[in-house]
Amino acid sequence: MKDLVSILDGNTFLVSDRTGDIEPSYDFPTGLFSFDTRFLSNWVLTLDGERLHALSMDDAESYRTRFFLAPGEPTHYLDAKASVIRNRAIVGSFQEQLTVLNHAGEEVEFTVRIEMAADFADLFEIKNARQKRGRTTVSTADNELRLTYRREAFHRETVINSSAPASVDASGMTFQIRVPPNSEWTTTLHVSTIVYGARGEDIRATLPYGGSRSADAIRAEQQELIDRAPKLGCDCEPLAGAYRRSLNDLAALRYESIALGVRLLAAGLPWFMTLFGRDSIITSLQVLPFLPELIPPTIVMLAGLQGHRVDDFRDEEPGKILHELRYGETAGFEEQPHSPYYGSADSTPLFIILLDEYERWTGDTQLVRRLEPHVRAALRWIDTYGDLLGTGYLWYQTRNPETGLQNQCWKDSWDGISYADGRMPGFPRATCEMQGYAYDAKIRAARLARTFWGDPAYADRLEREAAALKQRFNHDFWIADREYYALALDADGRQVDALSSNIGHLLWSGIVDESRAGKVVEHLLGPRLFSGWGVRTLAEDQSRYNPIGYHVGTVWPFDNSIIAWGLWRYGFREEAGQICDAMLAASRYFGGRLPEAFAGYARNLTDYPVEYPTACSPQAWSTGTPLLLLRVMLGLEPQGEHLIIDPAVPAGMGRIELLDIPGRWGRVDALGRSRDPEEPLGR
Amino acid sequence: MTEVTERFFASLPARAPEVLGGLADGTLQIELTTGDLTEHWLVRMRPGFVQVGRHRGPADAIWYSSAVLFDRLVTGEAQGVAAVLRNESTFSGNVVLFLAFRRFFPDPPGTRDPREVAREQAGRRA
Repeated sequence: MKDLVSILDGNTFLVSDRTGDIEPSYDFPTGLFSFDTRFLSNWVLTLDGERLHALSMDDAESYRTRFFLAPGEPTHYLDAKASVIRNRAIVGSFQEQLTVLNHAGEEVEFTVRIEMAADFADLFEIKNARQKRGRTTVSTADNELRLTYRREAFHRETVINSSAPASVDASGMTFQIRVPPNSEWTTTLHVSTIVYGARGEDIRATLPYGGSRSADAIRAEQQELIDRAPKLGCDCEPLAGAYRRSLNDLAALRYESIALGVRLLAAGLPWFMTLFGRDSIITSLQVLPFLPELIPPTIVMLAGLQGHRVDDFRDEEPGKILHELRYGETAGFEEQPHSPYYGSADSTPLFIILLDEYERWTGDTQLVRRLEPHVRAALRWIDTYGDLLGTGYLWYQTRNPETGLQNQCWKDSWDGISYADGRMPGFPRATCEMQGYAYDAKIRAARLARTFWGDPAYADRLEREAAALKQRFNHDFWIADREYYALALDADGRQVDALSSNIGHLLWSGIVDESRAGKVVEHLLGPRLFSGWGVRTLAEDQSRYNPIGYHVGTVWPFDNSIIAWGLWRYGFREEAGQICDAMLAASRYFGGRLPEAFAGYARNLTDYPVEYPTACSPQAWSTGTPLLLLRVMLGLEPQGEHLIIDPAVPAGMGRIELLDIPGRWGRVDALGRSRDPEEPLGR
Repeated sequence: MTEVTERFFASLPARAPEVLGGLADGTLQIELTTGDLTEHWLVRMRPGFVQVGRHRGPADAIWYSSAVLFDRLVTGEAQGVAAVLRNESTFSGNVVLFLAFRRFFPDPPGTRDPREVAREQAGRRA
C-alpha cells in the first residue's frame, strides 16, 4: 500500500496519495467521501502531461494539507524550472488552491490538467466492486463540471468550480497558462458534495450547522473544544503529546448527522465515519471526565434509535441498542442492514452503564429521568431477547446470515471467537465480557431506580439478579485447572476455553470474585497475553493466535484502556500503571495518535510497535484511550458531589497535573507524582 | 386516504402508553401525498400519550411520505429510516419526534420470536 494522506472534517474526508492525487482503488478507500458516498474517485494532476512527485508535505492540521510538488521523476527534480503547491482543506466541502510557480527567468507556457471523476460508490461497494444500479450523468458549464448520480429518488451530486478560466470536458479541466518569469499562477477549485432531499433541497443546508463552514470557523470551533478540556501539565512528553493529539482528533471526528441533525462523534477513518453503538459508548466513557458535553447527543440518539420491533434483516428486537447506522445507498435500498443495524449484544448493557456514569460525573438527573422508559426497555431486553436460550446469559446469533454479523461482541470478525485449539463454536454464543457488562448494567440501573425513579423494589430485584448472575458466571465460566475465565460458552453450555483479553473487561465490570482477581491479573500481564506494548487480544500460545490477526493477536489500545480501568477497580494500581506506561510508549511511534490496533509481536522482538496493515486512524476509541489512562493514573472517581483523586503514577513518569476537571463539583484540579527510587518515600 | 392508514392512526392513543417513551415530546406534522393530493395528519406526542388530528398546525417536525409508502410502513413491510436514506421520504425539524413516532410501526410480516428459533435449533443439536 502506498502512503496515504487523509484530511477530514466530521464525516467528510479525503484520502489521497502523497502527491495529492486520487485514483480508483478497491482495497483501501481513496477519494473524497461524505456520508458513506464517494464523491470523487479520480483527481489526478499533470503538468505538461507529466505526473508530479512530492517534495514535501505539511499536514499539521486535521482538515488541511499542503503538498509541495515538482514535475518529473525524483532523479531530476533538483533542476526543476517549475513547482506546484496544492493547498487543500475540507471545509464542509473540499477546496484546493492550486499554484504553479515558474522558477525560470523567462515566461513559460504550461498545460495544467486535472482528471476528474466520481463513481458515487457506497463505502460498502469499495471492497466488493459491483455495477452501480443508478445512472451518472455529466454536464459542463463555464468553469464548472457537474457529476450527478440518480437511483430512483436517491440523488447525489459533485459540483466542481474553478476560479480561473478553465476548458472543461466530461473528464476534467485543462488550463492553458502563461506564467511570467519568477511568478506564479493560481486557481481555487471548489468541490461541493450535495445530498438531495426528497423535495430537491440540499439536505445539509437544512441542518443546524449547515454544509459548509470556513476554515477559520472550523479552527475556532476545534480550538473552543480544546480550550474547554482540562489542562494537562506533565513531565512525560509522550503523555502530553498523546493528550494534545487526542483532543485535536476528537474535535475533528465530530460530525453533523445527515439523518439526525445533531453532532455526533464518528467512530474512525476511513471505514467507520458513522455512528456505532459500542464504539460511541466506549468513547463516551473515555472522554466523559474531560468533555462531558459531548455525551448527551450520543445518549439521546442511541435511545431514540432503540430497537422497537422484531426485524430479522436488521437483527433488531425491542429494547436493543443499535450496532451501526449508515447513510449510504446500500443502507437506503436495503442491500445492507445498517438503517440502523442492531447486530451487537453488548451495546444495550453498555448504554445503561454510560447513562449511569454520565450522571455520576455531571449530576444531569433530568436526562436520567427522561430516559427511564428507555433504560427499563434495555433491561427487559437483557432478560428476554438477549437471553436467547433462557439460561440467564446474553447470547447472540444473527438472523441475517447474508449481510449480518456472525460475532456480535467487540471481536466481531469471523474468527474472533474460538476454543484454545482453534475450533470455532456453533451459535448462539455467549462471550464472557457481555455477561460482565450485563452485571454492571444491573448494579448501576439499581442505583438509578432507587435514586431517581423512586422504585426501590425494582432496585432490589436488579441487585438480586446481578448477584445471582455473578455467582452463576463464576461457576460456569471459570476454568478451574487453568485459572482464568473462558472466552465464551457455546450453545451446549460448554466453555470456549481460549485465553483472551476479554477477561480484563470482567475486572472493569466487577463480576470477578475477589479471590480470583489475582489470577486474572497474572494472566493479563503474563508473557502469553502481554506483549510489552500492551495486552494482546488473544494469548500467543492459542491456536488461532496471529500477531497481525485483527481480533486474534493484535493489541487494541481501547481494549487496554478498559483493562487498565479494571485493574484499578480491583486495586492493582501498579499493573494498571504498567499498561498505561506501555500504551503511552507505543503512542510515541504514532505521533501521539494511537491507531485502532497494532501487531502483537513481543516488544523485545521488534523494538517498536508494528502498525496493523489497514488500521483505522484516527479511531475514536483509540483517540479516547490516553484520556481514560489519565483518569486511571490519577484515580479520578466521582463520589456523591465530590471527585475523589487517588493518584498512582507509574515509576519514571514524574509529575502529572490535570487542571479544571469539569463535573458536578464545578471544576477541580488533580495532581500526581510517581514515586521514583531516588526520591524519598511518602512524597 | 387508505383504510389501513386510517385504522393505524385510530389505534395510536390506545398504544401510546406502551410505545412513547421520555423522548416523545412535541408535535409531528405528517404529510402524505398521492399525486397532487396531500393529506395532513398532526400528531401531538408526550410520554405515554398521543393526540391525532387531520389538519395542519404548528409543528416541531414535518415528515413527508407518499401515501403508498406510508401504507407499507404501517403494515411493517417498509422501514422508516431506510426510506429516508434512499430519499423516498424526508423530514425536517426535530428528528427525535420522527424516531419516537416510528415506534408505532409493527414487525415485518411473518416474523418469528428469535428465542423460539434459537431454542428449537439448540434443542435439535443437543
